[in-house]
Amino acid sequence: MTSALSRLPDLGVGVGWRPEIAGVVADLPDLRFCEVVAEGIHTHVPLSGPLATLRERGVTVVPHGVRLSLGGAEPVAPERVRHLAECAALLDAPLVSEHIAFVRAGDLEAGHLLPVPRTRAAVDALAANYARTRDGLGDVPLALEPIAALFDWPDDEYDEADFLTAVLDRTGALLLLDVANVYANAQNRGQDPIALLDRLPLDRVAYVHVAGGREAEGLYHDTHTDPVPQPVLDLVTALAERATPAGWLLERDGDYPPAEVLRGELAAITGAVAAGTRAAGVR
Amino acid sequence: MTGPSAEAAPTTGTGAGTEAVTDATTPAEDLAAAQAALVAALVAGGPLPPGFDTGRVDAARRALLRKRAGEVARAWPLLAGSLGAAFTPRFVRWAAGRPPSGSFADGLAFAQHLRDAGELPPLGATELSEREPRPEKVRRRFWRR
Repeated sequence: MTSALSRLPDLGVGVGWRPEIAGVVADLPDLRFCEVVAEGIHTHVPLSGPLATLRERGVTVVPHGVRLSLGGAEPVAPERVRHLAECAALLDAPLVSEHIAFVRAGDLEAGHLLPVPRTRAAVDALAANYARTRDGLGDVPLALEPIAALFDWPDDEYDEADFLTAVLDRTGALLLLDVANVYANAQNRGQDPIALLDRLPLDRVAYVHVAGGREAEGLYHDTHTDPVPQPVLDLVTALAERATPAGWLLERDGDYPPAEVLRGELAAITGAVAAGTRAAGVR
Repeated sequence: MTGPSAEAAPTTGTGAGTEAVTDATTPAEDLAAAQAALVAALVAGGPLPPGFDTGRVDAARRALLRKRAGEVARAWPLLAGSLGAAFTPRFVRWAAGRPPSGSFADGLAFAQHLRDAGELPPLGATELSEREPRPEKVRRRFWRR
């Protein structure tokens, strides 16, 4: 899988493309990559509009799935895999990504990414669904993203780091690491986020998510509707000291701030990455 | 399996059958059942399977409802705007125990519910009337041709 990693271009600091901030994203002069929610893309028509303009500029666009339910016990729906593959082809994407989570079970949609139990059975289910998805994607690598969870399953057999390592070992997948999720999970379990980071397979990180959340009901919620807090930026720096991901991406969903605030957040991430890279160089 | 049921198995035919079925579930089937039970508890008012931290799952359930309210507000801006600060708590009360069916369909059903209760503000009513499917009219036109 290191070969899949080495084929990735240097993506810099990008942003999750959303229709609501299309104008702001289009005005970012140095943008090299963004991510688009795969389920929002129509693949039966040629690419048009702001995303087509970004592609013409040479901006890399990564399709990011949210509804595949890779961690579900049921096999992934072939039409969802096909759609993801069509998105990758339409956008000429160097990779696609999805979550280590499930979003539906027993004919009910959760409307949200839910944590899978950290068990051998869940590793088996993920590995089977990863293989089915890989078959449908052809040559395009698939990066897996662990999620933020407010609760754990009672029958967990692994801790978070060991479970993720087991999943990546079984699948050979690349890792899409969300440092805000690392922060949220550590915070909500009373753990040290740096200690958790140090136990993750950082040599597999393809790119990184960065997002803001907020405290509510005594828990840290990974909302994507709030500014990126300093502890998450500190994790960006810590990760940049330890690894060289191809790109770093700001995620914002809802409560979109004015353009200058968004640009300020991207600059803060760029600064946090540079601080980590510098520290790594000194070491 | 517990001792008593294993002892009972040889004497009662139905008991032995149940036992065999229970033993035959695979880890994948157990995972599917466990995931289905959890989703039902989170979005459909189902009972929480034993062993979970009730407070944490409740927090997740409420966060899910708030997120859903935000998505419906984006899909139905006039409806949300017409209710103002009351939108989220009112939507959350309505949506609790109702599985999500997408932000458009959720907003449609919520607006129809408010209308039936006589609680739909004028702007919300305008948005509903513009977007509500009218199957009867379509059907009539079809038959005339």
